[in-house]
Amino acid sequence: MILQHTADGILSGAIIGLGAIGLSFTMKILRFANFSHSELLTWGAYFGLIFISVATAMGGFGGTFGPLSFGWPLILALVFAAVATSLLALLLHHLIFERLAKVTGHMTMVFASFGVALLLRNAVLLIFGADPIYYSNTLQFAVKLPGNVRVLPDQVFLLGLTIVVVIALHLFLTRSRTGIAMRATAESPDLARVSGVNVNNVVRWVWVIGASGAAVAGVLYGLTVQLRPELGFALILPLFAAAILGGAGSLYGAVLGGLIVGLSENLSVMIIPTTYKPAVPFLLILAILYFRPQGLFGEKS
Amino acid sequence: MTGLIKGCALALAATICIAGGANAQDCPVKLGAILPVSGPMGQVGERISNTGAFAVKLFNEAGGVKGCPVEYVLRDTQGQSAIGVDAAKSLVDLEGVAALIGAVSSGVSLPVLTSVAVPSKVVQVSCCSSSESFTALAEEGKTEGYWFRTYATNRSQSAMGAKLAIDSGFKKTAVIYVNTDFGVGLAKRFEDDIAKLGGTITSSVAYNESQQSYRAEVTKALEGEPDSLFLVAFPVDGATITREWLALGGTDNLIVNNSLRSDDYIQAVGAQYLTNLVGYDSAQPRVASVDTFNELFEAEFDGPPDGPGLHSVFDAVNVVLLAMEQSDEITGDNIREGIRAVTADGGTEVYPGVEGIQRAKELIAAGEAIRYVGATGALQFDANGDVQAPKMTWKLDGETNVETGYMSTEEVAELIKMLDAN
Amino acid sequence: MIGVLSYLIFFLILALTFGIAVMGLNLQWGFTGLFNAGVAGFLAVGGYTHAILTGPARDAVFGGFELPFIVGLLGAMVAAGVVAIIVGLVTLRLRDEYLAVATFGIAVSIQLVAVNWEYMTGGTLGLIGIPNPSKVLADGPLRQNAIYLALVVGVTLLAYIGLQRIVQSPWGRVLKAIREDEVAASSLGKNPTRVRLEAFTLGCSLMGLSGALYVGFIGFVGATDFLPIITFQIWTMLIVGGSGNMKGAILGAMIVWGVWTGSGFAISKVVAPEWQAQSGALQAVLIGLILVLTLLMRPKGMIGEDVTVSRHATDL
Repeated sequence: MILQHTADGILSGAIIGLGAIGLSFTMKILRFANFSHSELLTWGAYFGLIFISVATAMGGFGGTFGPLSFGWPLILALVFAAVATSLLALLLHHLIFERLAKVTGHMTMVFASFGVALLLRNAVLLIFGADPIYYSNTLQFAVKLPGNVRVLPDQVFLLGLTIVVVIALHLFLTRSRTGIAMRATAESPDLARVSGVNVNNVVRWVWVIGASGAAVAGVLYGLTVQLRPELGFALILPLFAAAILGGAGSLYGAVLGGLIVGLSENLSVMIIPTTYKPAVPFLLILAILYFRPQGLFGEKS
Repeated sequence: MTGLIKGCALALAATICIAGGANAQDCPVKLGAILPVSGPMGQVGERISNTGAFAVKLFNEAGGVKGCPVEYVLRDTQGQSAIGVDAAKSLVDLEGVAALIGAVSSGVSLPVLTSVAVPSKVVQVSCCSSSESFTALAEEGKTEGYWFRTYATNRSQSAMGAKLAIDSGFKKTAVIYVNTDFGVGLAKRFEDDIAKLGGTITSSVAYNESQQSYRAEVTKALEGEPDSLFLVAFPVDGATITREWLALGGTDNLIVNNSLRSDDYIQAVGAQYLTNLVGYDSAQPRVASVDTFNELFEAEFDGPPDGPGLHSVFDAVNVVLLAMEQSDEITGDNIREGIRAVTADGGTEVYPGVEGIQRAKELIAAGEAIRYVGATGALQFDANGDVQAPKMTWKLDGETNVETGYMSTEEVAELIKMLDAN
Repeated sequence: MIGVLSYLIFFLILALTFGIAVMGLNLQWGFTGLFNAGVAGFLAVGGYTHAILTGPARDAVFGGFELPFIVGLLGAMVAAGVVAIIVGLVTLRLRDEYLAVATFGIAVSIQLVAVNWEYMTGGTLGLIGIPNPSKVLADGPLRQNAIYLALVVGVTLLAYIGLQRIVQSPWGRVLKAIREDEVAASSLGKNPTRVRLEAFTLGCSLMGLSGALYVGFIGFVGATDFLPIITFQIWTMLIVGGSGNMKGAILGAMIVWGVWTGSGFAISKVVAPEWQAQSGALQAVLIGLILVLTLLMRPKGMIGEDVTVSRHATDL
């Protein structure tokens, strides 16, 4: 069973990692812990749902890909969700966080993010209702791999897509002007400003990248589970654990952190009762803060 | 400190303004309901509340209580104890209700009972709280008789689950159960019961509600290659677990508890995957009153009354209103006695629906004893305010669930006696 | 009128009980700048400790020592304080956000323990029959609640006066100094981590006290009593009332609890029962909006921060 738990852990870890990238950048560059970040996953998943529903209503685009449960609509839904969630994040930034940053300290923003999270979550509830929804009602059966490990074809796709997204982000951060400016700002905002970096612009990019990552994670998550207004809320602790484990501002740190969180959660059930599983991310947070507060990939400040 | 005093004055003024005229006891007669219409149980709570309101509507069409229309005053508990307790207190003090319907979760019903209903001498009738703590409190005399529930306690459920597993020829059963007082109590009893009937348990896994994925729990439950799964869940999480269980190669020999006999669950999983599913539920006895309720419900809501708490809340409202009709003066104490009176053996049977209630009112007016037989059949409250109910078993035929067996209250009691004996 | 009075007493008991937790949070956030996102967890520790110490003995469950009410209150404060020290030791020397995340995590974990550790907490059944001292002293719910209210008012006043003295003491000024400029404070020879830990622990014991008063009043404690949303409600009370001011903390508790229950009351009057499911979500949106708007338009809350200047300030 250990192999099965490992496989499950890697797959759920990939989603947590994707979602945590944005959180990690927000903590480093915007300098506050954004408790509403997980709600962006929820909104991403529901934006994906809107697109898929419209596409299905228009007759869809061809069938599904091979063993996967979906076809082109889902790929396009990923893009649509990323764009729409980015716009939502920019709106929140413009209406709330940017204004607050001018009048109060960063810890007040942490608290404001609590309020924003509540607003976003209940807005989903009001618009889409409390009933859970699936992208596709067809049940996908697991494929048996050597070692008696069972995985869903969709999950393999999900893992592959995560790797693609991380590579793309890596190239963006190291090759593009904006990406380099982002890294500079993360290192030292003042120095970056002096060197002519448009910090406001960088901040907007942080929101766009964070929201896009969250949206993609949300849609991929929605692929294997059902959509509910609490989809993101349930992931707050795993996301924070991943971001803190990896070290704020580290792309690979966030992804690796996600994998560690996913693996720990799934493997933990072999030694502790399943009902204590949600506490695992918290224990990881305490452990890393005690032994290596800058995270695995972070530098000591 | 002046700020504080001002705050109090404001709050006082506001409360008095809002409450103005709330003391008029005579008309309308108010019935309080404290139910979780939003929050995690919102989906379940909303249907329960609407069914309760429907019962009040029918009662009003039959002429109301003592010639007064009944007003159904609903307060949302949001599934939180502090909000629920406050809501109950405000219903009792500001609205002047003499009886409360609710709550759903035992975690809300219990504090409402101990801190509002009993001290204020108000009757509380729950449609859905299953905790054994209520029976314990009642035995200690701490409910003072103000507590009733129209929902059958857990004991018979585990017996039914075990019987279904054995009757279906299953030898090794895995259990996945919801980590609430309901699920924990049921799963523990089930382990005992199935052992006595000659089956074995491969693993027993608890799950926390409202998670997105239960893969770890399912993987753990798959250990030991069970030939069947006993699932104790509510529709939403239950569907997630069933899908993951099947997708990961679990057997489709499923035994499900009463709350999963719901279209929400079957549609979310997909009926085509549930051909080997068997389940049990509280049955409505073979009496006309149940069909009457089902027909009334279908006509009102365009669908069958499948789902937790619908039959039981309907009866909760009716027994309270009939008890009020029976009383000289509408007080908690009178309702407490009245509920026993209108459900006692020996009275003339009366049934739900406008005509049935009209008949009941006529009999009461004539000073004759009545015996309410409703949506859950002939209710029989024991000394602790608990009821027993007959059971049925079911499976799916295409998309619709069909009944495969029926056990009367006596047969269920016999099964339990047999299980408890050795 | 009796009904209104009775409800008002009830309302004040709950609002003031929350107010004590808000004052604890105010010490942490308003005076020291510590972000505690796990208020619900500390309330739970206090509530369960009180139930274990004062409740009746039970089979297969630890506790039920039937100790006096006051021992329950003190024990609740100690237990919440001990948990606070453990969390604080790990996180207080780190960046502020980490405290927020860690305390959020501890609240989640404490709730899991409450649900699962049957031997200690009664598990999903909770602990029933917790004695309420007012039941012995008087007959009838109105008199009993009035006595309990007097008790809560007394505890609130004690906490208020005690905290006022503390924050105006030299130690209190160190708190603010650390909040405003930690480096400057430590250069003056103050040990910021230690002072922050002390403030955090004291604040958490007040939350424990609040939890104990709640459980003592309700007579029951269960795992669903302290959901994460309570943390949010307590925080909103503080922000609306005005952080950095103990009067504001109490006022905020009254206003926000009043809005929360008042809107529930209004909804039940105005909205038809079949539409109330949506209005529950609207209520949450309403509180979220009040909070965000207060932060934006009136960041200092209803009452701003007390200006505490040293008596010796003029000497300088």
